[in-house]
Amino acid sequence: MLLRLIPGDPAVAMLGERASPENVAAIRERLGLNKPLPEQYMIWVSGLLRGDLGNTVRGNIPIASELSNRFPATVELALVALTLAALLGVPIGILSAARRNSFIDTTSMFFALLGVSIPIFVLGLLLIYLFGVRFDILPFIGRLDDAIQLERRTGLHIIDSILTGNWPALQNSLTHLVLPTFTLFTVPLAIVARITRSAMLEVLNQDYIRTARAKGLSERPVIFSHALRNALLPIITIIGLQLGTLLSGAVLTETIYSWPGIGKWLFDSIIARDYTIVQSVTLLISLIYIIVNVTVDVLYAVVDPRIRVS
Amino acid sequence: MRTRFTALALALIVMILAVAPISAQDGGVTFTFGEFGNPVQLDAAIVTDGISFRTLTQGCETLVEFQGDTTIPGPALAQSWTTSEDGLSWTFKLVENATFHDGTPFNAEAVKWNFDRWRLTTHPQHFAEQVFEYYEAQFNGFDDASLITDVQATSEFEVTFTLSAPIGAFLNNLAMPMFSLASPAAVEANGAAYGTPEVGFSCTGPYKFVEWVSDDRVVLTRNESYWGTVSGNIDTIIFKIIPDNAARLAALQSGDIDAFERPNVEDVPTIEASEDLYIQLRPAFNVFYLAFNYRIKEFRDPRVRQAISLALNRQEIVDAFYVPGSVAANTMNPPSIGIGFNPDVQTPFDPELAKQLLADAGYPNGLSEVNVLALDADGNITDTVEETIPIRLYFMPVARPYNPDGEGIGSAMVNYLASAGINAELASAGDWSAYLDARRDGQLLGLYQLGWTGDNGDPDNFIGYFFASVDTPLAREGYYQNAEVAQMLQEARVSLDTAARDQIYKDVEAIMAAESARIYIAHGPVPLAFNNRVQGYVTNPLGTEFFKTVTITG
Repeated sequence: MLLRLIPGDPAVAMLGERASPENVAAIRERLGLNKPLPEQYMIWVSGLLRGDLGNTVRGNIPIASELSNRFPATVELALVALTLAALLGVPIGILSAARRNSFIDTTSMFFALLGVSIPIFVLGLLLIYLFGVRFDILPFIGRLDDAIQLERRTGLHIIDSILTGNWPALQNSLTHLVLPTFTLFTVPLAIVARITRSAMLEVLNQDYIRTARAKGLSERPVIFSHALRNALLPIITIIGLQLGTLLSGAVLTETIYSWPGIGKWLFDSIIARDYTIVQSVTLLISLIYIIVNVTVDVLYAVVDPRIRVS
Repeated sequence: MRTRFTALALALIVMILAVAPISAQDGGVTFTFGEFGNPVQLDAAIVTDGISFRTLTQGCETLVEFQGDTTIPGPALAQSWTTSEDGLSWTFKLVENATFHDGTPFNAEAVKWNFDRWRLTTHPQHFAEQVFEYYEAQFNGFDDASLITDVQATSEFEVTFTLSAPIGAFLNNLAMPMFSLASPAAVEANGAAYGTPEVGFSCTGPYKFVEWVSDDRVVLTRNESYWGTVSGNIDTIIFKIIPDNAARLAALQSGDIDAFERPNVEDVPTIEASEDLYIQLRPAFNVFYLAFNYRIKEFRDPRVRQAISLALNRQEIVDAFYVPGSVAANTMNPPSIGIGFNPDVQTPFDPELAKQLLADAGYPNGLSEVNVLALDADGNITDTVEETIPIRLYFMPVARPYNPDGEGIGSAMVNYLASAGINAELASAGDWSAYLDARRDGQLLGLYQLGWTGDNGDPDNFIGYFFASVDTPLAREGYYQNAEVAQMLQEARVSLDTAARDQIYKDVEAIMAAESARIYIAHGPVPLAFNNRVQGYVTNPLGTEFFKTVTITG
């Protein structure tokens, strides 16, 4: 609805400088855009119920096939980036909290601040220049070299290359992932590290931690058995939120690295007022958030018995 | 804990350093062209974007095609042609040894089938959900409205077109890539899916479709059965999709691509200074202009319009914002157009004269606010002042070769105008789609930027496109009205006398310049960046550039 409210329409976007009232009206009629909004919506919903997401306004290409090509690219990049962010961010946060105000704490929090502050396009282009052009050791275009053939099973290149035993493709797709991952994971890494540190600090000030230490427990079980488990809820929440955000597509990273995901596609579709694509991708993103939220809720119950009981 | 972090960090470094270099291409000579986006579709008849046409031009052919670096149509799938004296009948002799990529023969019946498909809304392959925009625009509409009334296969390799009225630019229209001929069998077999990534195209050209991976690449390979000559040595063409301009330049520098179009203006000197790269300019076949909305009462006075024109230093704007090789514009038709360019029209920069003209028009202290005139029920401008508003100068929100920096140029224009006592404010009208919407509906109340890139090399598709219908005020043209201009342009449209048409277009430019009807700013060439390995690329003002002439060396 919001997209329909803003000025401009697909016919105008399609015609560009050639947009005259007559040919815009003709195209709107051909595309069915002159029908009432509720009728257009019902047409789309009825198609959806039959498993048909419709065709793109420009080019009349089936959206389902386009989506199935692009979404795995977004999933692969998002999962790799978030896994790395979580694997690094949580330990960094724990270490910072455990060594509060130490050199390690100050340094890691400085880099965490840098991580959320540095513009993605600056970091991306810097990495491309250094590793793609200057040293020429890492690819920075797309998911796979054109010369590499890979049989499609899931659309996730790492999984597909393992399933088919295609080791050159596995190595090639991993190298293609390096720079986009390093660009994309800086923000979630910084956020996860900071949230982990805050959550841990809050728990470490609790009486039961003092009691544990008073009982003579060494620092390792205090941190990992008593403090971390109680600090996990906000960490899980933030990782879930980051997953939702990353799975919705990373426009800048996808643009800089020519990564064929849904973020750039959605952005271009909004500019072109390609309503059917926007509707379909929005639906997908909504589903992603629902699934992520439900998963996070289930994980709450797993890590916190009080939630399970209630 | 510390040991684990160190191990992780080391693992990451090893991961970076241990990777193998990017794989080299094998299997013949490959030419990789960096594109900033996907083709919209690969059914030439239903697309309007340059990326689709660049891809299609390598594999699909028209009856006639623009020759080399000119806008002059010459033989292609039609080897020769004749026309009747009244210009209503055109007969084309076709090549006899061409086949479509799917193996079906190319002949007169295939030509008829294609034109019937585009022209007749009842044709089974004129799919209702598809938009045959260019056929409608160039031939006046479909069915009974079409200027092409009949296409007949008069022999196996001879086809005859019947027109309802002469079309001065008929051959130019036929040379446009959207009128390239597809295999009837392929379109019938695939229906509306013809041209989609799964299907691609099937035509007669030197390269045939292999694959299209959305947002990644389109691959074409040499058509070994091609009827014509391929002077270059390319076996495979890859259109590599790299949306970011800086990343495209990095890809050219690293050797991942061999060429791309439209580097950033500020990157052009870097490319020119490089030992491995070079720039080639596509001649400017466009114009950037500043239009008046004639609902502004003050803009209806030619002295005010002329003052605004005199206040702008076009040459400085070109020097500051455009790629080298761009020229300040005096007319709408660019110098590279075949006919209709009028070199006698000059638009000087003279801010003092501009102030004098403003004073003569009754604004000795300059102009800061203007009056908007109301429209009547028929959309005609009345004498009633609807509101008083500041002078606004709307800037384009997108970059184009004819306008590389709408906001920057707009700011410069505002400053020039201020020096002449015209105090305009820079205004935005939203994103590109919203901007075009507002322009179409005549809602950009003030001065506004826009431009044009010609489609077929003919002035009817340049100045004729804008002003052939201004016998009534058009909202999309800022309510400009000039019945004399409209009549002259309509006369030129149906004339087959090239010399007469040339004179008419020159006269129209002179008439419109005398009244400063619109302010033309610049013609900007399109830079293309190449690796030194690429030789033989021929740029064409219309962008119909054939990779079959390209040789990759080394």
